[in-house]
Amino acid sequence: MSTLLEKHIVELLQERNEKAISLLYDNYADTLYGVAFKVVKNEDLAQDVVQESFVKIWRKSDSYDPTKAKLFTWLFRITRNTAIDKLRSIGTKSDKEIQIDVSDVYNIGEQSIRPEFIDVKENLDKIESKYRIVLEALFFEGMTQQEASDELDIPLGTIKSRLKIGLREMRKIYGAVLLTLLINLFA
Amino acid sequence: MKEKIRLFLDSDLLEKYLLGDTSTEETLQVERYIAMYPEVRDSYIELQENLESYAKIHALKAPEGLKEQILVKIRQEKRLGSKFFKYAIAASIAAFIMTGTTYFFYSQNQDLQEKNTLVNNKIKDLETDMKVQLEDLRNQYIVLNNPNTKRLSVKGNRKAEDLKAVAYVNPVKKLSYINVSHLPQLPKDQCFQMWAEVNGELVNLGVIKKFNDKEQLLALPYAEKAIGYITIEPKGGNETPTVKNIVANIAY
Repeated sequence: MSTLLEKHIVELLQERNEKAISLLYDNYADTLYGVAFKVVKNEDLAQDVVQESFVKIWRKSDSYDPTKAKLFTWLFRITRNTAIDKLRSIGTKSDKEIQIDVSDVYNIGEQSIRPEFIDVKENLDKIESKYRIVLEALFFEGMTQQEASDELDIPLGTIKSRLKIGLREMRKIYGAVLLTLLINLFA
Repeated sequence: MKEKIRLFLDSDLLEKYLLGDTSTEETLQVERYIAMYPEVRDSYIELQENLESYAKIHALKAPEGLKEQILVKIRQEKRLGSKFFKYAIAASIAAFIMTGTTYFFYSQNQDLQEKNTLVNNKIKDLETDMKVQLEDLRNQYIVLNNPNTKRLSVKGNRKAEDLKAVAYVNPVKKLSYINVSHLPQLPKDQCFQMWAEVNGELVNLGVIKKFNDKEQLLALPYAEKAIGYITIEPKGGNETPTVKNIVANIAY
C-alpha cells in the first residue's frame, strides 16, 4: 500500500467523499475481514463486524489524525474494537480455550489467504507457537496482557517478553520474505 | 533520560497504545513520549508496520457483496447526515431567535429598572422639596405670629417710587422675611434683584419675579445688623449689585 494512495484516501475521507470507502474497501477489506475473523471466529459475525467498522470509519473520518497513527493502525483499532464488542455482546467469550487453539481456526481461511503471502504464512509458522499464541491473544483476542497471562497460565513477565520476541521474529521473517519476493520479481 | 526511555519501552504501554487499549491518561503519556524521544517514535513506527504486515498475512477474502452492502449503508448515513444537518440549522435558528428574545427582554428589564430608579429619585427630590417648603412655611408662620417680630415698611427711592415691601424680622428666632407687594414697571431688559449684606458679605438673594412673588414671603438671611437691598439690574440678574441702581434698602 503506497503512502500516496493512503494520502489520497485520507483526503477523500476528510472531504466526506464516498469514494474513500470504496478505495478503503478495495485495499483493506480482506485484511480487516481477517482481523475480524480472528477475533469472532465466525464468518457471518466477521462480515457484520467489517460492515459496522466501515460505517464507524465513515462516521469518525473527521477524527483520524495522520500524525498520530498510520491509516492502517487506525482502521485496525476500529475493526478490532468493533469485533471485541461484538464478541462481548453475544457472550461467546466463554470458550476462550478453543479460540486460542490457533492451529484449528487457521484451516478455515487457509485457501483464501492471499497468494502473495503464502510464503510468508509458511514462514510465519516457523515462529515458535509459544510466541504466536501470545501475539494472537493480544492482537486479536482482545485480551490485556494480564488476561492473557491468566488465560494462558503464563506469568505476566513472560507474556511481555514473548510479545517482544514474537514481534521481532515476525519482523525478521517478513523482511526476509519481502526480500525473496523482490528477488523473484527481478530474477 | 536513557533509563527513562528504556523503562518506557520495556513496559507494554506502546503496544497497548498501538492496539488502542490505553486509557486517556496513558494515551497522553504515550503521545508525549512519541513526540519527545526519537527512539520511542521509531519503535512506534516499527510496531505499526509490524502490525500491518502481521494482519496482512492473515488477510481473508472478504465475502462477495459485502462492499455493495457497505456502500448502501454509507449512502444511508450520508442522507441521515444531511437530515441531521437540516435539523442542526433549524436548531441554530431557534437558538438564535431565543437569544434575540432573551436579549430583548433583558434590555427591556434594564430599561424599566433605569426608569424605576429615575422615578424613585424624583419622589425623593419631591419629598425633600416638600420638607424644605414645609419648613419655610412653618418659619413664616412663626415669624408672622410671634409678638417679638418687628415689621418694617420698605419704600422705594426716587428711582422706584412705587416699590412697596414689608420686612418681618424676628431676632429671637433669628428669622427674617420680606414681602414685596408692589413693584414699578421696568423696561423689558431690566429686573429687580434682591441682596443682603450679612456680616460684611454681600449675598445674592435672586431676581424678584413680578407677579408670582407678590403674595410670597422671601426668606432673608438673618444676622445682627444686616442690610437688605433691592437694585435694578439687567434682565436675568447680576453677579454683583450695581450700587447706583439701589432702589430700596432695609436695615434689620
